[in-house]
Amino acid sequence: MKKTRVKAERGTLKKVLLYIRPYWFHVIVSVLLSALTVALTLYIPVLVGRVIDHVVGAGKVDYESVIKLLVRIGVVAVGTALLQWIVTSVNNRVTYHVVRDVRDEAFCRLQILPLSYLDKHPAGEIVSRVITDVDQFADGLLLGFSQLFTGGATILGTVGFMIAIRPTIAAVVIVLTPLSFVAARFIATHTYRYFQAQSETRAEQTALVEEMLTNQKVVKAFSQEENAAARFDEINGRLQKTSLKAVFFSSLTNPTTRFVNNVVYALVALTGAIICIATAGTAAPFTVGCLSAFLSYANQYTKPFNEISGVVSELQNALACASRIFDLIGQPPQKPDDVDAVVLQDVRGSVELRDVAFSYLPDKPLIEDLNLSVQPGQRIAIVGPTGCGKTTLINLLMRFYDADAGEIRVDGEDIRCLTRRSLRAGYGMVLQDTWLRSGTIRENLSLGKPDATQDEIVAACRAAHAHGFICRLPQGYDTVIGEDGGSLSQGQKQLLCIARIMLCLPPMLILDEATSSIDTRTEAHIQQAFHAMMTGRTTFIVAHRLSTVREADMILVMRDGRVVETGTHKELLRKNGFYAKLYNSQFAT
Amino acid sequence: MRKLFVYLRDYRRESVLGPLFKLLEATLELIVPLVVASVIDRGIVGADRGHAVRMSLVLVLLGFVGLLFSVTAQYFAAKASVGFVTKLRSVLFRHIQRFSYRTLDDVGVSTLITRMTADMNQVQTGLNLTLRLLLRSPFVVFGAMVMAFTVDRRAALWFVGVIPALSVVVFGVMLVSIPLYKKTQGKLDRVLGRTRETLSGVRVLRAFGKEESEIDAFRGENDALTSMQKYVGRISALMNPLTYILLNLAVIGLLHSGAVRVQAGVLTQGAVVALYNYMSQILVELVKLANLIINITKSVACGKRIRAVLDVSAGETVCADLPQGDPAYRVEFRGVGLRYNETGDPALQGVDLCVRPGETVGVIGGTGSGKTTLVNLVPRFYEASEGQVFVDGRDVRVFQPDELRRRIGVVPQKAVLFAGSIRDNLLWGNERASDGELLEAVAAAQAQDVLSVKGGLDGVIEPSARNLSGGQRQRLTIARALVRRPEILILDDSASALDFATDAALRTALRSLSYHPTVFIVSQRTSSLQHADRIVVLDEGRVAGIGTHDALLKECAVYREIYDSQFRKEAEA
Repeated sequence: MKKTRVKAERGTLKKVLLYIRPYWFHVIVSVLLSALTVALTLYIPVLVGRVIDHVVGAGKVDYESVIKLLVRIGVVAVGTALLQWIVTSVNNRVTYHVVRDVRDEAFCRLQILPLSYLDKHPAGEIVSRVITDVDQFADGLLLGFSQLFTGGATILGTVGFMIAIRPTIAAVVIVLTPLSFVAARFIATHTYRYFQAQSETRAEQTALVEEMLTNQKVVKAFSQEENAAARFDEINGRLQKTSLKAVFFSSLTNPTTRFVNNVVYALVALTGAIICIATAGTAAPFTVGCLSAFLSYANQYTKPFNEISGVVSELQNALACASRIFDLIGQPPQKPDDVDAVVLQDVRGSVELRDVAFSYLPDKPLIEDLNLSVQPGQRIAIVGPTGCGKTTLINLLMRFYDADAGEIRVDGEDIRCLTRRSLRAGYGMVLQDTWLRSGTIRENLSLGKPDATQDEIVAACRAAHAHGFICRLPQGYDTVIGEDGGSLSQGQKQLLCIARIMLCLPPMLILDEATSSIDTRTEAHIQQAFHAMMTGRTTFIVAHRLSTVREADMILVMRDGRVVETGTHKELLRKNGFYAKLYNSQFAT
Repeated sequence: MRKLFVYLRDYRRESVLGPLFKLLEATLELIVPLVVASVIDRGIVGADRGHAVRMSLVLVLLGFVGLLFSVTAQYFAAKASVGFVTKLRSVLFRHIQRFSYRTLDDVGVSTLITRMTADMNQVQTGLNLTLRLLLRSPFVVFGAMVMAFTVDRRAALWFVGVIPALSVVVFGVMLVSIPLYKKTQGKLDRVLGRTRETLSGVRVLRAFGKEESEIDAFRGENDALTSMQKYVGRISALMNPLTYILLNLAVIGLLHSGAVRVQAGVLTQGAVVALYNYMSQILVELVKLANLIINITKSVACGKRIRAVLDVSAGETVCADLPQGDPAYRVEFRGVGLRYNETGDPALQGVDLCVRPGETVGVIGGTGSGKTTLVNLVPRFYEASEGQVFVDGRDVRVFQPDELRRRIGVVPQKAVLFAGSIRDNLLWGNERASDGELLEAVAAAQAQDVLSVKGGLDGVIEPSARNLSGGQRQRLTIARALVRRPEILILDDSASALDFATDAALRTALRSLSYHPTVFIVSQRTSSLQHADRIVVLDEGRVAGIGTHDALLKECAVYREIYDSQFRKEAEA
């Protein structure tokens, strides 16, 4: 288990390096300058120590040396500060650019992933990969690495300086300081389960909050407010207990490591003092200045340890985030258009399905042996109970999914030999799930025809009976609507989707329950517009409401993925089969 | 913010003791440089090993007592912050429970969820850190200065100089960068919005061949985010180098005047080391303080948002005296009008309608004609802006909301069920209903087959009822309303996902209910309404006609148009 994880982590790490490669120059600059910064930072306590050694007592101060040293401290400090700033800026640059590159690539991938992937994965999950995971990966991995490097360099540098000054005292620090590291680890591992409990209870509470507040109106309609509050309080009480433990125990890390640090500090002071006394007057005295430098180091030395101990878990988390985002980026894209793919032009609108078979799950066949021949300009209605495969048929026509067997031809061309773009441009599609983007009404309408004039837009909206309500909006066509249509009603959203198609008028139409949320009276108005639009255009209409399909040239009655009946309304009624049963049930009382 | 701190009242003791113990610990830390100075001056210079040993033990002791103090402080801080937020969450949740429909519309549910979860967590973290560190850091900074004064007044003047300079740098950088961080967040939100949109609209975007323009737009937003991040990063990266320079300048000054004072015999070598150590302490604390303030700023913003929700008045008050209606009617509308917002068109106006007990009233009309609005006035989900709505002759505003709604069974447009068993959900209608009564309601709602497929009353409903089809959900919501045996039953377009045969069976079952409820049926299908006792036809918020199906066909043009749009063609067929 552990081995495979390490292997996977190594693979992820390799990919991370690929993204960093374009910035190798920055990385090298950053590494070199950080090392220099660390060295200079550590040099200052030494200089201060030397100053102190020149300030021995009354009348024994060596001013000349003191001033020289002070100037040097000043120069070193300014240099260190400058380097610090450069290093941080360079690190930021690398981090933000890698984030940008990863996001760009992820987004590009989203545009070419097959719909089978996107339909299977909740949008929220994918969004969280592109946004949250990338952030965490960048913060944790890149800043983590820079912390790790600076921390490591500081530890090594400190050890080096200390050994150079006095190995015996250095030994005290080197041996004892990792204790604080151990203490921090100890606390972290033992508080883990409290955090686990906390996040579980928190998740439970969030689930309740989401469920209740999303449906608050129902809660109120049934006077369940007290009930909901009681359930909430019960979880809340449990959360208080687990949170208290998690918060308290985790907050012990700081005081504990500080205590260990204080003990080390005391020992350095003691051994330092004893050695000072012992070596006073010898050739290589351990001076008060040296002791001062040592005390500074003892203070600073634990800091990188604490940071590194945090970094390790952060790195692991970051790697996990990175592997999630790389998993998305690495998903196989849809089969690209052939190099010699034909661009569908001047569509006449004949559509032919030959022995088409399709299923979402291999062991659950949905559409089998579907045959259909549509002449240009014909109107095909598809009816049948929920789950019979109506929407799937649209997926196949638009090539959102490819058929498993058989072929679909438009104007005699197999659609797999056409560019997806030209095939899709041949259809105007109004789906049951209306979709509008955040932006102005105008932006939404001109999605299919970005260069449409105001007159064209208004004409399309009049035809779709949307002009009236658009004019009543605060800024008319320039009204900004929120995500998914914001405050518009379902019916209004549908009208906009219809107007959007009316604007670009493609040669073939797919209308999926296109008017389900519009009242029948408005629908009757739109029907006239539809009528005009459908004339001369091959149209596929999917509808529950049988009143909308009566005028079709052919009705496909689907059931369990098969076409069970075909014919006109009259023929099918005469046949008195499944369609007649469906149709008559709406008049039963 | 002060309003929120009311909920800290139960933890008054902890909120005082937490910071207090922190300060005690900090005081001990301030003693350390003096002890070290003594090690140097008496121990080393005076060659007194015993003194050095004793002073080192004092250092360890100081550390140990400090540990005890700070653990105590952490406990109090954790207890107060967790307790405070627990209380706040409960108060906020209950507050939201009192929101009227209108308030819920205004505030927005997704906002409320964020307030209840993410914002609360940030407030907890912020309060915890505040209790632990907010007093401590300034205390150490000023404490170090005061201690420096006890060592040597002249040298201590460097502290007086450098502390304000450091504060200016730290707070200056923060003041500039915090608003910029907010802007960055806004840019990130746009990147997020783009991503979400490209997923939610994938079919439409691909149908229009928008893949490339989507990528271009995304790159634009993404680049804007990156350059903003780099800009903010460069500014906030100034803080550490600047403070570092200032501090070292102060150290240089300190050492210089230290040297002068030592030469004059006023100061000892150990005292200079002590002064230097105090200066180092200041640097450490300033860095901590800056991080703390960033965290607190975030928490205060979250706290303000939570408070804003608490400030929203619940919007449901019970009135005492209002003119009475005619008690012979179960429901009466008298000159009722409603506007959802003050500037917009009225959603409903001039509605007069009297409904007798047991009557079935159909409501029909175009999209946005006010059908749902009309029936929502009966359980007082919304309040009429004009006129009055009566139930049994009493204005709906004089009822306790609870008392009114218990008499009404509502089946909302959107069929919502909650995670749990089918029984749990049905019991919402009436907590005391027996299984027999539940099954009776299920039968009337034509939902027996749902139970048989899902395993009876104990059948599990997954979150968002995702294991049920739209039609199954609708029938269970109807059953839930029937469990209540309501005097008034409101079906708001709640049979839309049912096939015609089931819809017809449902209507028959409703007519034969033993308790003869008054029924409002909202529908877009004339076929669902034509057997109602009366039908109300709405057109853009006004009543266009009230009457039976046959009468309306003759007299009401709007109704005829609706009917024709659904039925004319098969007359021809």
